[in-house]
Amino acid sequence: MTDKEKKGGLSNNPIVKKIGGQRLVVIFVIVALFAFFCAKSPTFRQYSTILNLLDTSYYVTYMAIGVTFALITGGNDLSVGTGMVCYSLIGGYVVTKLGLPIGVGILLTVLCGVLMGILNGFLVAVMELPAFIATLCTMMIARGMGSICTKSQSINWPQASSAQGWFRSLFKITVGETKYPLGFLWVIILVIVMSIILTKTKPGRYIIAIGSNKEATRLSGVNVIKWHMLAYIICGFFTGLAGLAYGATFQTVAPGTGAGLELDAICAAIIGGTSMTGGSGSIIGTLLGVFIMSLLKTGLPFIGLQANWQQIITGIVLLVAVLIDVIRSKQAKRA
Amino acid sequence: MEKFKQNPIVKKIGFNRIVLIGVLILMYFLFGALCAAMGRASFFTLARVYSAMNYAYFMGFLAIGVTFVIATGGIDFSIGPVMFCSALISGYMLTKQNVPLIVCLIVSIIVGTIFGLINGYLVAYLDMPSFITSMASMMLAKGIGSAYTKTQSVSWPQGTEAAGWYRNLVKIGNGSAAIPTGLIILAIASIIFAIILNKTKAGRYILCLGSNKEAVRLSGVDVRIWEALAYILCGMLAGIAAIFYVGAYTTVQPGMGDTFNNEAIASCVMGGTSMSGGIASIAGTFIGVLIIAMLQEGILAMGFQKDYQFVITGIIVILAVYADIRSRRRRN
Amino acid sequence: MGDIILTMKGIDKSFPGVHALDHVDLEVRKGEVLALMGENGAGKSTLMKVLTGIYKKDEGTITYEGKEIEFENPRAAQAAGVVIVHQELNMLSHLTVAQNIFIGREIMNGQIINDEKMNEESVKLFQKLGIEIDPKEKMGNLTVGKQQMCEIAKAISHDAKVIIFDEPSAALTEAEIEELFKIIRDLRDKGMGIVYISHRMDEIKVITDRVTVMRDGTYVGTLITKDCTKDDIINMMVGRVIYEDPKTQSAVAKDAPVVLKVEHLNAGKMVRDVSFELHKGEILGFSGLMGAGRTETARALFGADPKEGGDIYINGEKVTINTPMDAVNHGIGYLSEDRKRYGIVVGKSVAENTTMATLKEFMSGLFINKKKEDEVAWKYVESLKTKTPTVDTEVVNLSGGNQQKVVIAKWLTRNCDILIFDEPTRGIDVGAKSEIYTLMNELVAQGKSIIMISSEMTEVLRMSDRIVVMCEGRKTGEIDIAEATQENIMQLATQRN
Repeated sequence: MTDKEKKGGLSNNPIVKKIGGQRLVVIFVIVALFAFFCAKSPTFRQYSTILNLLDTSYYVTYMAIGVTFALITGGNDLSVGTGMVCYSLIGGYVVTKLGLPIGVGILLTVLCGVLMGILNGFLVAVMELPAFIATLCTMMIARGMGSICTKSQSINWPQASSAQGWFRSLFKITVGETKYPLGFLWVIILVIVMSIILTKTKPGRYIIAIGSNKEATRLSGVNVIKWHMLAYIICGFFTGLAGLAYGATFQTVAPGTGAGLELDAICAAIIGGTSMTGGSGSIIGTLLGVFIMSLLKTGLPFIGLQANWQQIITGIVLLVAVLIDVIRSKQAKRA
Repeated sequence: MEKFKQNPIVKKIGFNRIVLIGVLILMYFLFGALCAAMGRASFFTLARVYSAMNYAYFMGFLAIGVTFVIATGGIDFSIGPVMFCSALISGYMLTKQNVPLIVCLIVSIIVGTIFGLINGYLVAYLDMPSFITSMASMMLAKGIGSAYTKTQSVSWPQGTEAAGWYRNLVKIGNGSAAIPTGLIILAIASIIFAIILNKTKAGRYILCLGSNKEAVRLSGVDVRIWEALAYILCGMLAGIAAIFYVGAYTTVQPGMGDTFNNEAIASCVMGGTSMSGGIASIAGTFIGVLIIAMLQEGILAMGFQKDYQFVITGIIVILAVYADIRSRRRRN
Repeated sequence: MGDIILTMKGIDKSFPGVHALDHVDLEVRKGEVLALMGENGAGKSTLMKVLTGIYKKDEGTITYEGKEIEFENPRAAQAAGVVIVHQELNMLSHLTVAQNIFIGREIMNGQIINDEKMNEESVKLFQKLGIEIDPKEKMGNLTVGKQQMCEIAKAISHDAKVIIFDEPSAALTEAEIEELFKIIRDLRDKGMGIVYISHRMDEIKVITDRVTVMRDGTYVGTLITKDCTKDDIINMMVGRVIYEDPKTQSAVAKDAPVVLKVEHLNAGKMVRDVSFELHKGEILGFSGLMGAGRTETARALFGADPKEGGDIYINGEKVTINTPMDAVNHGIGYLSEDRKRYGIVVGKSVAENTTMATLKEFMSGLFINKKKEDEVAWKYVESLKTKTPTVDTEVVNLSGGNQQKVVIAKWLTRNCDILIFDEPTRGIDVGAKSEIYTLMNELVAQGKSIIMISSEMTEVLRMSDRIVVMCEGRKTGEIDIAEATQENIMQLATQRN
């Protein structure tokens, strides 16, 4: 009881309540990780590293925002990682190999994402397949399609210096001698917009309601199929944006890659307080989760841990995050 | 049609399985015809059959294992990478650390079993959702496998070398006189695991808890042990699959293997195992594996990349799961 | 009483294997409260689901405000002014009270939801009902009674002309029921037609104007409440099946040994410091309102849910029960109120379900001895008179009563001495009900002891030797059957802190 009271004392603090207990912990972890890497590696402290860190966080952020919507409905989307690469390949292919204008490539990338979102939404909301198995299948389809469309070639989106390279400066702009992370501005704007959509508009309200109790929502006269689908379409749209960010951030997009990246996104969302059981979630929390994932991704090589260790650590972080979520929802059920 | 379905022999074998075998035979001739039409080398050669069977062996063990997990109502996305992790660790020991072959084979099985234990513990004892848990252990398997071999690929010895006798597990001899030992072993394993699933306490409880876990728990059964056992069996079989993978292909690369998950799961659902748990068939899975192997071989024979196979397998799983859900809804 | 607002005529509805509604008639007038009565499974809820478009009727006509209509879905019914306050609450626990009330028709400010305004409107609704609930509170944090009030507020916010209350009082305290009745009278006086589904006789006499009675999916008749007696209604409800009188005296000897003693059992909010004793050969009734913590007590005792404290003694010996496995090993069997979820494995056969708890005994070496398994399953099919074509039939194909018998067979195979029957006759038709009663009496005669949780007062009074009454997770009293009356049980059941 005393333990509970102590905890209650902190969590009843109005400021803590406003921000949310878990979010405070996450912010603390971000600061601690950052401090740790800075202390361990002098090169980590450089501006270019921070820039690089932000640069590689954009695509994860977009995937994570998208997958947050799928998670809130009580579902999931495993196709985001492979999907992102697939859309980036297709968009890049029409620009670099077919010579279409860059604008068409950008639109096509996002459009592919939306189409996949519609397919996922159809499978989950209309055909009522389990979300994880439906999106596993679309993940395989995306993987195959990416390679088929590009004839198994790697794609290099136009370089920043080339005529069509202006889109890269949407994410990292060079003014004079210094580079600025312009992409972060879009991330902030989109996070705010999607937060408002989730908490203040009908689509968001109904998506949360579906995750909370789909049958009750249906009986309240809400067209659950439509809104359930919309959650996946939003997810697909953001995966399309992620594909764009991916193409802009990296020199090369290779077919057959991307599997496993969805776990970064799902992990980020769960760390940010989105529940795997549906009904609750927060976009700002997801953004904080992305920071943790990106810090680990960028920081680990600085302390000498290479890609294979990143996979191991991603696996462990994911397990811990899910375990916390499981314990949390068990407690909520018992209270 | 109805009459055919009610025929006692048909009923005994199962109508769906007869359809699957029909599909398998049809596919064989279809690929043959397509290859001929496209002017490629003949599909009807013994080499093709052996090549398809090479694919079926390790896939068979993976699929049998995941059938047990799916029977509990769960899923295991880690089997492919776990298989590779097993093959990498044991292969590295064999080729770089001079460990005797037999020990390496045992290590391979043990590594798989350890992953099974981890998955089983997390899912059954800590109530974590199986799909996300097994995806996390997929990352672990990939990472550990490549960390152990320092991100190098491993080539197991050839059949002609001293430590190459393990390849006899897959095939003895060459050419048309070769004995497909792998097929014999897989067939025996299928029968054993079919008996475990249908005739033993473990199998009964695994199927029942897949259908209604809470009711079984309230009957005083320790459901956690049986649920974990399914994952352990699955991990162990992934370790065995590793032996048959290297037996057929010898070379393993780190960081791969996740596409095999999907094909193993596809084999199960095609074979009539229900994704929602409680209904499973090893015989069905066996035929499903043959279809997947045929698909793989056919696509290669026509000169296409494996990418088409991903797309086709994805569509197959969607259709199979949808058919399962529909028939279930009609029954209730 | 005013004009007729709603008529249902010759409504017929079948589900596979069940003729749920057999040409049922119903008539609702403006400014009246119509009671719809009948036993569990008589078809009351089904009829209302047909009315509000959740089910499609097979035959019959519905006339509403002079026009023949058929509502496509609950939303269409709501829009037309026919709303239902459900028995099982349809709440979205993650959303706030106001968000729940306005789900599906949010007050908008352009594209942005105006939560402020929705909160204000909710307060106004609550004022109209004379209750006080914070509209910004999360629905999941409210008590069951408060949640019910929110449902009513949601119903009247629809501008309803006909409101259906499906067993609204099941979870309410006396004071809350008073409040509810005040609201209902108020709504009636405003000219609404109200359908009140309940099987609490006293309430019917207090609040309703007419009573329509259903039995086994058929329409029996309609009475004017003030001109009829309780017995008239009961006779119509029960029909040809004659109920035994309540037990007048305990059939258990005073000095019968205590087989189970529970002391200071605590588990979550719903089980607080519960202590009781169970004697050999006794049926111990557990009575209380919905949400009183009876099922939770049983589950904690059985080890199905974790407990925070408490001692359990079996035959005088202290035992540890942390899992259902422990409970079963100590000879306790549990028949859940929710058979489909907790009792049977629907996709499996009668034999497989029968041997679920005792599979060990059916092994020949490593393998299950199917022959022995079938023999035992047949034995119980015959002795319990379970209606099933074979023991290999999947239990999903059996009726509720027969499924219940399969669960009983499971525990009899295990030879359990203490059986917990949680709502043993819920959803079971009248004939099968008395078979279950006979069976329970036979079991105690054989020296087994039964804890029976039941929400049906007649069942409690008829079967129990002693009655434990619970309210809000606490045991509020224990009555010997000789002194038990509906009134003193009810009083204990509503004794809140």
